[in-house]
Amino acid sequence: MASFLSTVKRIYLAIYNWAIFTGWLQVLVFAIKALNESGTAAVYDAVEKPLQLAQTAAILELISVGLVRSPVSATLPQIGSRLFVTWGILYSFPETRTHVLVSSLVISWSLTEIIRYSFFGMKEALGFTPSWLLWLRYSTFLLLYPTGITSEVGLIYIALPYIKASEKYCVRMPNKWNSSFDYYFASLAVLGIYVPGSPHMYTYMLGQRKKALSKLKAA
Amino acid sequence: MKVTLVSRSGREVVKGGIELEDSATVKDLQETIHARTKKYYPSRQRLTLPAKPGVSARPVVLNPKSKVLDFCEKGNSDNLTVLFKDLGPQVLYSTLFFFEYLGPLVIYPLFYYLPLYKYFGYANTERTIHPVQTYAMYYWCLHYSKRILETFFVHRFSHATSPLSNVFRNCLYYWTFGAYIAYYVNHPLYTPVSEIQWKIGFAFGLLCQVSNFYCHIILRSLRSPSGNGGYQIPKGFLFNIVTCANYTTEIYQWLGFNIATQTVAGYVFLVVATSIMTNWAMGKNRRLRKLFDGKEGRPKYPRRWLVYCCDGSWPLSDVQCLLNLCGCSVSGFSIVSSMSVQIP
Repeated sequence: MASFLSTVKRIYLAIYNWAIFTGWLQVLVFAIKALNESGTAAVYDAVEKPLQLAQTAAILELISVGLVRSPVSATLPQIGSRLFVTWGILYSFPETRTHVLVSSLVISWSLTEIIRYSFFGMKEALGFTPSWLLWLRYSTFLLLYPTGITSEVGLIYIALPYIKASEKYCVRMPNKWNSSFDYYFASLAVLGIYVPGSPHMYTYMLGQRKKALSKLKAA
Repeated sequence: MKVTLVSRSGREVVKGGIELEDSATVKDLQETIHARTKKYYPSRQRLTLPAKPGVSARPVVLNPKSKVLDFCEKGNSDNLTVLFKDLGPQVLYSTLFFFEYLGPLVIYPLFYYLPLYKYFGYANTERTIHPVQTYAMYYWCLHYSKRILETFFVHRFSHATSPLSNVFRNCLYYWTFGAYIAYYVNHPLYTPVSEIQWKIGFAFGLLCQVSNFYCHIILRSLRSPSGNGGYQIPKGFLFNIVTCANYTTEIYQWLGFNIATQTVAGYVFLVVATSIMTNWAMGKNRRLRKLFDGKEGRPKYPRRWLVYCCDGSWPLSDVQCLLNLCGCSVSGFSIVSSMSVQIP
């Protein structure tokens, strides 16, 4: 029974990882195509659908957290910030879509995710990963985390005046439940979280890198 | 006898070890350590026996009342190696509770009495104080005054001290939630509920506060003043039905406040506080059932509801956990007695 369940789990994870991999590959291909043909302003429109799909599917990752070893403190901030930027900024405020940071964002995210999902996909499907993929998985973040985080923070910052002016997602007093929500201040709070959050994520990956590469040397 | 005191890294904490009389208690040992190291007063010391290699059981803690000799291995009563851990600066539990409760007690009336809302962009909004807002302020202040008085005159603590870092963490929790709730209940654009609703809410809340106080009195009488710290099965009043009747009454007391004041902030606080107390109750329930297992002449801990809707059995099934969560949210919006499900 136990081994049947673990096979089911492996199949689920293999299918999941390769499916998301395909989504992100699409994002990267469409982005580069748009950049070549039209320039940075056209990138968002070209990638919108696969981006939203691949990014939101990552929520399933949270379920996988129960199945996979990644700690919640590392996956939750990552998924949270990605979903916030995808839906809360880019989708909600079209004025941000033509900015050049969208291109750097999309490329950083898609490169990272393509490597990451193929890495996990191979592990689940084949039982091992080639050492060059392992190296990529634990080395590209060194560049792509800073570029990705800068793009995310930059886009949130650019969106701020539009957020303030639009009153979108805001709940104002008076109301029956005596509650209020100000999206502008919430966005500022999210920006604030990046201050301790980014070093935390980066040092976590540095630690993972050390562990993974030393295991590689030992093998 | 000689006691060798080492830290987890193997370093000797007190060079050359400590010479003690054979009749010495652990308390004497702790005081000697304090005298020799100056920095480590007894409540900061955690003394355990080194784990035997290959054995992964929980470490044996040296409790102050026992004799040091009791921890020596048979046949080796001249030497003992003790593992030392610094628990960091400690504060009295009463100090911790005083500061965490003082915040809400002071902060809430600030929002009621002072014209703070002009700093939140409401400079031009006229403010009429509704009766429910005044009663809410009295209720809130009564609650936290009661807590402070209980801290100094009623509670008997199992541990004398708590790490200093807990002061910052706990004050953050209480003070932030206090300000969050106070902001909305005292808001110039606050919308009160019907008179009958807030009267029922406050009446129910007061009843629960009185019950909660009585629960604390019962718990106090379980512990002797000499600070034995021993557990006894809580009996009488609501303890015949629930393990942690003090938490139950506290939760329902906040429910009463929320029924009366109706803010999302208040209900959020209710859900968070309930989950924290439920966690504590599960631990307490587990401990009591382990201690009072009915063997060797000890009384058996009877089945009890956990807090309000879970049976005391452990591990909780997923259904029970889900019910617990539903209970937290539903109880925020209605009185819940019918939510109990007993799982054999």
